[in-house]
Amino acid sequence: MRPALSPAYRSHVVDIRRFALLAAVSVILGGCASFSADGGVGTAQAVAYAELNKDVVKIGDDATALGARARVDQLLKKPLTADSAVQIALLNNRGLQAAFNELGIAEAQMVIASLPPNPRLSISSRTGTLSLEIERQIVGSIFALATLPARADVARDRFRSAQLRAAEAVLKLAADTRRQYFRAVAANAQATFYQEAKASSDAATQLFKRLGESGGINKLNQAREFAFDAELGAQLAQARLQRGQERERLIRQLGLWGDDLKFSLPGSLPPLPRLPGIKAVEAEALRKRIDVQIARRDLDLLAKTLGLTQATRFVNDVDLLGRRIYDRKLTVLADGDIEREATRTRLVELEIEIPIYDFGQSKVALAEQTYMQAANKLAEKAVNVRSEAREAYTTYRASHDIARHYIANVLPLRKIIQDEALLQYNGMLIDVTQLIADARGRILSNVAGINARRDVWIAHTDFKHALIGGGSGGGGGSAVVAAAGGGDAPAH
Amino acid sequence: MTDLSRRGFIGTSGLVLAGATAVSGRTAFAAVPEAPTMASAATQAPLVPTSGPDYQPVATLNGWTLPWRMNGDWKEFHLVAEPVEREIAPGMIAYLWGYNGQSPGPTIEAVEGDKVRIYVTNKLPENTTIHWHGQRLPNGMDGVGGLNQPHIPSGKTFVYEFQLRRSGTYMYHPHSDEMVQMAMGMMGMFIVHPKDPAFRRVDRDFVFLLNAFDIEPGSYVPKVNTMLDFNLWCWNSRAFPGIDPFVVGRNDKVRIRFGNLTMTNHPVHMHGYEFKVSCTDGGWVDPASAWDEVSIDCAVGQMRAFDFVADEPGDWAIHCHKSHHTMNAMGHSVKTYIGVTKKDLVSRIRKAAPGYMAMGTNGMGEMGSMEMELPKNTLPMMTGYAQFGPVEMGGMFSVVKVREGLAKNDYADPGHYKHPEGTVAYEYKGAKLTEAPRVEPAKAKPEQATWQVKDPRKPRLGADGKPLPGAKAGGAHSNH
Ligand SMILES: [Cu+2]
Repeated sequence: MRPALSPAYRSHVVDIRRFALLAAVSVILGGCASFSADGGVGTAQAVAYAELNKDVVKIGDDATALGARARVDQLLKKPLTADSAVQIALLNNRGLQAAFNELGIAEAQMVIASLPPNPRLSISSRTGTLSLEIERQIVGSIFALATLPARADVARDRFRSAQLRAAEAVLKLAADTRRQYFRAVAANAQATFYQEAKASSDAATQLFKRLGESGGINKLNQAREFAFDAELGAQLAQARLQRGQERERLIRQLGLWGDDLKFSLPGSLPPLPRLPGIKAVEAEALRKRIDVQIARRDLDLLAKTLGLTQATRFVNDVDLLGRRIYDRKLTVLADGDIEREATRTRLVELEIEIPIYDFGQSKVALAEQTYMQAANKLAEKAVNVRSEAREAYTTYRASHDIARHYIANVLPLRKIIQDEALLQYNGMLIDVTQLIADARGRILSNVAGINARRDVWIAHTDFKHALIGGGSGGGGGSAVVAAAGGGDAPAH
Repeated sequence: MTDLSRRGFIGTSGLVLAGATAVSGRTAFAAVPEAPTMASAATQAPLVPTSGPDYQPVATLNGWTLPWRMNGDWKEFHLVAEPVEREIAPGMIAYLWGYNGQSPGPTIEAVEGDKVRIYVTNKLPENTTIHWHGQRLPNGMDGVGGLNQPHIPSGKTFVYEFQLRRSGTYMYHPHSDEMVQMAMGMMGMFIVHPKDPAFRRVDRDFVFLLNAFDIEPGSYVPKVNTMLDFNLWCWNSRAFPGIDPFVVGRNDKVRIRFGNLTMTNHPVHMHGYEFKVSCTDGGWVDPASAWDEVSIDCAVGQMRAFDFVADEPGDWAIHCHKSHHTMNAMGHSVKTYIGVTKKDLVSRIRKAAPGYMAMGTNGMGEMGSMEMELPKNTLPMMTGYAQFGPVEMGGMFSVVKVREGLAKNDYADPGHYKHPEGTVAYEYKGAKLTEAPRVEPAKAKPEQATWQVKDPRKPRLGADGKPLPGAKAGGAHSNH
């Protein structure tokens, strides 16, 4: 806490001492803001720990930087899991650190706002025709001083909001990373399956080449088989491209470069998450969503600001001017004499703006509309959050059903098809080409199954974040679907 | 007749009983004769007549003869048209329609001049009738639904009465939705023996019907809409190795009669003998004009019989000579892999299709000896083993087994033929033969061949598609 007024000032402006004293007391009572130990990251850390079970650090010095680096290195050694990816992102993503810096800025602003106004010392010299007027003017905004507790309160609230926004940034980063992780793993697995399909197709192509050489197939049917293989090649290339893109997007989330890029992803997605039987999703979302909390706090803040406006409705600003005016005057008389005149005046001036044309109604209307706007926005958010929670839950359930359908029906049927096709091939009832086509169909169904499982995990992430916030911009991602014919037999 | 289970007509169902009442109301006889049924697909011993005129009974291949009863001077039979399960060969069951528990239905045997009364009970889900193929009879007994009689509705019993006017080989089959009902296996033999048991008498008289089904491997019901692309070529709804052998004693006089109710003709060929075509559905062939054959083609809807004296002992093949008809279920669009090495691709293809084995590089003979898992209800394409290995056959294939000293009524499989010493083809193991130098087959060179494409609108072209030298082509010039 800084001294409110300097002794020098006090000696000159005795009359305002009472005001100053009042201001100083009120500042003490209001609690003068100071810089926090954690730079305000505590909220984000708490949210990350409670909702994500993850650690968040604000990297401000070498020790924290090294510690974070060591943990990231450790996590990168093993194939990434969704959790380890999120942890890496929370430790390593520079965008998040930037958000924390912003939080630091907000804190600094809060501290500034909580300080009483510095006294201003102004010396002006004015020269008239024959006079020199030196005016030492000390201006103190008594009003600013008087409203300091309220403004400090507002600044603290703003800082609190910023803290929540930082927490939201953490949740958003976690959600984005998690989603991207599943996309990257799915794209990986998808590319692998296409690779397998291509390998079997290559073997078949080899067979058709030899069949052409032995005279067992004509050019037309050979070309049909080759075309199928060639198209599969294009699909494989596309799958590989997507694998690269998804990996790069994940890398950006994780904030990696250089040697870190060698990290490995698992070959397959984790088994399906258990479907929660949640009843009060809407209530939970309204209670927990961080953006709702922010909006609510913003509204409160606005209410306070509004209260301030009403309190100062008729007085726009009150400046107490303490002036000590020293006038020297030289007057040339008619007889040639010069008359020196010197006066010392001390005065206290109070300037009050009288609202003749605006008695404050427009300001009140502005404040009211601003408040109502924020209130309506909060109401809208509440409606949307309910809807988003419901949508996320039904999407999650539906995608879960679809994935289970793949696991329980489509893939077993594909297996039956392949097994029975083999039996038919054994009996020379079908050609090996059909056998390969059915195998390919199974592979492509597996790709579709992978995508379905990926969508479940993304929906799972969306759902989780629909309840806690930070989850905007989710959605599934059916990129490369089983377009290679889904087991269509090559034409014979 | 061990498998013959007798089943009283009354007590089968109230519906049928109602039909019987209707019948008795019109013809006024004591009761409808019982309708015996057969559960086994094995060849049953011939049914020696115990009443009525005497005759030499026939042996129905993988079948049986319908017992009858005398009612005054009427010989009474009872056929029940019904869904049946037929074993096509061990390992494969077909859901067919037939008569009295089997497809084909039991053979009806009677004697020229007999008055037959045949009760036909319909236990199918749709109308039926029976047409007595080749018989002379009153027009109203010919069995064409709608034309000669009302269709027999489900659950009803109709009566056919006629006198057998000539001896010979006949068939019976539906003439009501006949496409479906014949594709489902509804058919049977009708043998009319001569009045004189000594007339063209033989010691063993075999009968069977040629029939074909299209049953997808793993399924049970024939596809009735198939027109030509059948996959099970049968004799009496059996496919080799499910077809019983023709067991005969040495020097027996043998007759083999068959009718064709498939959609195509079948050249039936018997090894070891020439035989005389002795009977068609038109009647007996005059011995003076009978001709010798080793194959006899039987057109669709025809019946043929041939006679021979079994004086050459051994296991003699008898089969349809359309080679695809001596195969069981096979894929007709399987490519030919002869000369295509697949071995090095096996592991790659297996990655996508585990369990894949390379086949066909050297032909399909290996199918006969391979024992690989097949779809559930089907038969290997070629199968059956004999003393020298896999026979590599299926479908319309059997063996005439001629043996010394068989008892008159012994139809039991005598096993493999014991060849006398030195009568089996053997591997040459002597000194290396010098082969005559072979002439390289002249490889036709395009420029030596006189290919030409005739198109009146264009100049004459050579094999290379360019106008031949000297061709009068407007503006065309030769490269030669
Ligand atoms: Cu044939």
